[in-house]
Amino acid sequence: MKNKISIFVAFLMVVIGWTQEVESYSIPLDTCVNVLLHKDATRLKEVATCLVTNDDIATYPLISAIVDKRLFVYKGTAVTKFPGDTLYYSVYPKLETISVQQEKLSEVNFPRSIRTKFNVLSKKVNLVHPNKSVREMSFRSFKTTGVLSDVDFLTSLKINEEEEEVLLAADEAIYSIWLHSNNAALQNKVLSELEENMNVHMLDPLLDYVALKENTNVEGKERAKKIIENIESREKTINVIQNLFSGISLGSILLLVALGLSIIYGLGGVINMSHGEFVMIGAYTAFSVQQFFIGFLPESWFDLFFWASLPLSFVVSGCFGLLVEKLVIRHLYSRPLESLLGTWGVSLILIQLARTIFGDVTAVKSPEILSGGINVTQGLMLPYNRLFIIGLTLVMVLLTYFVFFKSKLGLKIRAVTQNRDMSASLGVSVKRIDSLTFFLGSGLAGVAGCAMTLIGNVVPNMGQTYIVDSFLVVVVGGVGKLIGTIISALGLGVLSKVFEFFYEAVYGKVILLLIIFFFLQYKPKGLFPDKGRHSDD
Amino acid sequence: MLKNKIYIIFILVFALLMPIGYFTGLVPINTLTLWGRYFCLAIAALGVDLIWGYTGILSMTQALFFCMGAYGMGMYMTLSNLPEGQFLPSFMVWNQVTELPFFWVPFDNFSYALVLSILVPGVFAGVLGYFIFRKRIKGVYFAIITQAIALAMFLLFSRNETMLGGTNGLTDFKFFLGFDLRDTSVKFGLYILSLLALGLIYWYCHGLVNSKFGKALVAIRDSESRMRFTKYKVTHYSVAIFMIGAMIAAVGGMLYMPQTGIITPGRMDVQASIEMIIWVALGGRGKLKGAVVGALVLNLMYSVFTTVLPSSWLYILGGLFVITVLYLPKGIVGLVDQMKEKLNSMFVKTA
Repeated sequence: MKNKISIFVAFLMVVIGWTQEVESYSIPLDTCVNVLLHKDATRLKEVATCLVTNDDIATYPLISAIVDKRLFVYKGTAVTKFPGDTLYYSVYPKLETISVQQEKLSEVNFPRSIRTKFNVLSKKVNLVHPNKSVREMSFRSFKTTGVLSDVDFLTSLKINEEEEEVLLAADEAIYSIWLHSNNAALQNKVLSELEENMNVHMLDPLLDYVALKENTNVEGKERAKKIIENIESREKTINVIQNLFSGISLGSILLLVALGLSIIYGLGGVINMSHGEFVMIGAYTAFSVQQFFIGFLPESWFDLFFWASLPLSFVVSGCFGLLVEKLVIRHLYSRPLESLLGTWGVSLILIQLARTIFGDVTAVKSPEILSGGINVTQGLMLPYNRLFIIGLTLVMVLLTYFVFFKSKLGLKIRAVTQNRDMSASLGVSVKRIDSLTFFLGSGLAGVAGCAMTLIGNVVPNMGQTYIVDSFLVVVVGGVGKLIGTIISALGLGVLSKVFEFFYEAVYGKVILLLIIFFFLQYKPKGLFPDKGRHSDD
Repeated sequence: MLKNKIYIIFILVFALLMPIGYFTGLVPINTLTLWGRYFCLAIAALGVDLIWGYTGILSMTQALFFCMGAYGMGMYMTLSNLPEGQFLPSFMVWNQVTELPFFWVPFDNFSYALVLSILVPGVFAGVLGYFIFRKRIKGVYFAIITQAIALAMFLLFSRNETMLGGTNGLTDFKFFLGFDLRDTSVKFGLYILSLLALGLIYWYCHGLVNSKFGKALVAIRDSESRMRFTKYKVTHYSVAIFMIGAMIAAVGGMLYMPQTGIITPGRMDVQASIEMIIWVALGGRGKLKGAVVGALVLNLMYSVFTTVLPSSWLYILGGLFVITVLYLPKGIVGLVDQMKEKLNSMFVKTA
C-alpha cells in the first residue's frame, strides 16, 4: 500500500514538473548541447524541453543519437556511430565524419524519462540521417501522418537533398499531404503534377482522395481516377516483365542443369538421378572457397572468391562425376531403368555425405559487385545476380555449342550418341568419350550450383528440388537435343513463373504438368524427335 | 520340393510361431504390429513387381496409390472417430470450413469407403495409364512423367486447401469399426488380417502371372514391338496391369492405415516410390517371392538401422541401391537360386 502511494506521488510530481517545464524559456543551443554532454542532472529536463520546443534541424542528429542510445562524447564533441557503419560522425553543430581514437570515446546514456521527451520529434529526426534509404523511409512516413504545417519544413529539406530517390519520396510526402488537405487548389496542383509525371507510389493517397470525394462532384475525382487507372495498368505491365525476367533466370538455371543431363542421356542412355547432387557439390565448392578466403587470405581479396569458385566448381563437380561414372555408371550404359535406381542410391549417399560434413544450412555471401540491380524504371528493378546468371548461362551454352559442333571431341560425342557400336568399330575410343562427356555434363551442373548460391542457401538436398524439373525439360526438349533442351528449359522456366503469378505456386506446378502431359500426347518424343523410323528391339 | 520350402517356412514362422509366441508372451504385440505393417508394404511391392518386374514398366506412382488407399481409409476413420456433436474434423475447423467437402461425404460409410479406396486409385491409374500408354510413352519417359505426377500429387496433398489434412496428414484415431485400436487383441486381429491379405493377393498374383495374360505381360516386357506386330493390344494390357497394380497397392495402404494410425503426404513423395522399386529389385524382380522378401528384408533393416545407427541409414540404403543394380540383377531370390545350382552341380560332379 505504502509503495503504491509513493508511486502515485512520484507520478504526480512528474506530471506537475512536466506542465511547469512546458513554459520553459529559450536557452542557446550550444548551451543545451553542453548540458547534455556533461549530463548536468539538474538542467537535463529543462534543456530537453528547450530542444523540443526549438525544433531546430541542426539538433536532429543529436536527438536521434540520444533516442537510439548511440551518443558518445569525444574531446568535448558529441559523436555517434550508425548501426551497420564503421565510421564515426560528429552530430553537432554539423553532421560530418570525424576520425576518433576508440579508447577516448565515452558513452553518454540518458534515462528513459529524458529519451521519451523527444518522442514528439521522432518522426522528423531521421530526415537528416546520413543513410539515404533511412531518409527515404522517414520522408515516406509523412505520407500518412503529415499535416499541412509540415509542408514548409519538408520543402526546406528538399533544397539540400541530392539523392533522387529521397527527393522523390519528399515529393510524395508533400503531394500526399496536399491531397489529404481540404484545399482544392493544392489538390488540383497535385493532380496536374501527377498527370505529367506518373508516380506508382502515389496510388494509396489517390485512392484515399477518391474515397473522400466519393459523394461529391468535383472534377478532380475523375482526374484522380484516370491517374489511378494509369498507375494500375503500368503496375500490371511491370509485374509481367518482372515475372518474365525471373522466369528467364529460373529457366537458365534449369537449362544449365538439364544440359548436362540431356547430353549424358543421349550419349549413354543413362538416367542420372544423382545429377542434382553435382549441383549441390558445385554450391558446396563455392562455400568451401569462401571459407578458405576468409581463413587464409587478406580481407581485401574476399570479393574475388566467387570468381575463383566458378571454374573450381566446374572442375570439382566434374571430377566427382568422373568418379561416379567410373565406379557405377560405367556398368549401366544402355540400361536406363537400372541406371535410374543405381544413381538414385548414389545421390542418397552424396546428400548424406554433405550433411555429415557441412551440416544442414549454410550460405554463401554474394560478391559486392553483384548486389543491387538496374533500375529500369520506377518500380522495376532487374537484380544484377539474376542478370549475371542469365549471362553465365549464355556463355556456358555457347561454349557447349562450340564443343559440341565445332570441335573434334564434339564430333566424336555426336558419333557415339548416334551409334555406339559403329563409332567403336571406326576407331573412336568410346570409353574415353563417355568419361569426358560425363565430366563436362557434371561440370555444367557444378557451375549451375555455384550460380545458385547467389540466390539461395546451400543445403544438402538442393539438387533434388531441381532434378524432377530438369528431367521434364529433357523429356519435353527431346533427348540429346541441344536446341530442344534450350527451348524447353526457357519455356518451362517462364511458364512456371507465369503460372505462379496467376495461381499459387503449387497449382501453377500442377497446371504446368498437365500441359506437359498433353504436349506429350502430340509429341511423344519431345520437341525435336529424330527423323525417320527405327525399331527399338 | 525345394521350390515350396520357402512358402512352408513363411507360413510356419508368421502364421504359427509368431501367434504362439504372442500367446505365450514371448513376442510383444508391437513386434507383431510391425510385421503387420511390413506385410502391407509387401502387398504394395507385389503390385510393383507386376508392373515393373513382369511388364517392364518402371512406375513411380506406386507409393501414391498406396497412399490413396490409406487416405481413403483414413478419411473413414477420421469421420467415424469424431467426438459427439462434432461434424467436422478439427483441421477443417481450424481452416474455417463450415461444411464437409463433397468428396468426404461418402467416406462416412464403411462399405462405400472400402469400395472407393480401391476404385479411386484404380480409375486414376486407368486414366493416367490410358493417356500415357496410348502414345507408346514407355521406359525412361514413363518413369519421368510418373515421377513428376507423384511430385505434383505430393504437393497437392500437402496443401491445406485440398482438405486432406495438409502436411500433418490424417491421424489421431482411437477406434476402427468400433474396436479400440489400443486393444492388443485388435492389434493381433489386424496382424492376422494383413497376413491373410498378403497370402490372398500373393495367390491371386501367382495365378495371374501363370495365366495367358501373365505370359503376355512378360512378352511385352521382353519385346513390345513384336507383341504389337502379332496384333496384341499392348496398350490394353499395359493399362490393365497398371490398374491392377494400383488397386493392389491401395489394398496395402488401407490395411496399413489402422496399424500405423497416421498417414502423411511424406509417404507418397518420389523417394517413397523409388524405395518400393528397390525392395523389388533387391528381392528379385520378376519373381513374386522376390517382391515379398525384398519388402520384408528392407523394412526390417530400416527399423533396425534407424534405431541403432540413425545417421548411417541413408548410406546403407544408397549402397544397397548401387550394389543391387550392379551385382544382384536377379536380387536375393536369384542369388539363392544361383548358389543352389552351384551346389547342385558340385554335388552332381562329385557323385
